[in-house]
Amino acid sequence: MPLNQALVGKEYPALTMEVDRDAVDRFAEAIAEDGAVFRDAEAARAAGFPEQLAPPTFPTRMQIAVSASIAADPDLGLDYTRVVHGEQAFEWLRPVHVGDVLTAAPRIADVRAKGPLEFLVVESEIRDAAGEVVVRARTTLLSRGPGGGAS
Amino acid sequence: MKTRPRLEDLQIGDTIPTLSKVVRREEVKAYADASGDQNPLHQDDAFAQSVGFPGIIAHGMFTMAHVTKAVTDWVGDPAGLVAMDVQFRAVVFMDETLEAGGEVKAVDPETRRVTLSVWAAVERDEKRVLAVKNSTAVVRLD
Repeated sequence: MPLNQALVGKEYPALTMEVDRDAVDRFAEAIAEDGAVFRDAEAARAAGFPEQLAPPTFPTRMQIAVSASIAADPDLGLDYTRVVHGEQAFEWLRPVHVGDVLTAAPRIADVRAKGPLEFLVVESEIRDAAGEVVVRARTTLLSRGPGGGAS
Repeated sequence: MKTRPRLEDLQIGDTIPTLSKVVRREEVKAYADASGDQNPLHQDDAFAQSVGFPGIIAHGMFTMAHVTKAVTDWVGDPAGLVAMDVQFRAVVFMDETLEAGGEVKAVDPETRRVTLSVWAAVERDEKRVLAVKNSTAVVRLD
C-alpha cells in the first residue's frame, strides 16, 4: 500500500525530555565516547560549558521516539517492521548538556516513492526550556525491499 | 591536550585521522537501551536471520555516533560541530572493525566553517564496504 502523501506537513504531538546524567553516561558509554566533557561535569565546566555535555547524537533518543509514533500513525499506511533508517541529519546550534529540558516538535517533511522503496522524512525542531532551537533533526526512514537495505 | 586544527593550515583534500573500533555485541545492546531503539534486528539473531542477515546488525545511529566522534575528536571542541548529514548504505555486523574518517572539501575563512565529506567502513570478505557514504559534516574552527 503506498504511503499517504496527504500527510506531508502534518505535525505530531511534541515530546519533552529532561537530559539526565544517567542517560548521558549510558549513551556515552555505549558509543565509546571517552571525551572528558561528555563524562564529567567539572571537566565540562573547565572547558567553558555549564554542565556535562551530551554526545552530539544524543537527541537520537527523542528522534527515535517521535519517528516511531509517526510511523505508527494508521493514516500513513507504513509497515514499521519493514522500515530501516536510510539517512540522518542534525544541525546543532549549541551542545546539549545535562539538565536541559528539551522539546521535540515533529512533522512529516516528505513522503515519496523511488522504485520499490518508499521514503518517510520526519523533521523535528528541538528547543530548550527557554524556547531556543538547540538541534534540528531530520530522519529518513525507508521501507525495506527484497535484499535488505541499511540499518 | 592535543592540538586543534587551524583553519589557515587546511587544504582541500586533507584527511582527518581515521577512528577505528571493533563493534561488540555488548555495546550494541547498550546502545539499544541508551537510545531507546529496541528493534529486534539489533538484539535478536533469530529475528535478524529471518530477514536475511547472518546475525544482528548495529544501529545506523551507532555508526553515525562513531563518525561524529571521528569529527569532534579532530576538531577538539564539542561546540565546533555545526551539522552532519549521513546516508546509511550498508549494515555493520558484530565483531567487525568499524572505521570512520573524513576529508576536507571546502574552507570558508569568512564564516570559519569547514565542510568535510565523511564515511564509515568495514572490511568484509577482503573487501572494503562503506556503511556510510555520500555524507557530510560542517564544523566551525574558531
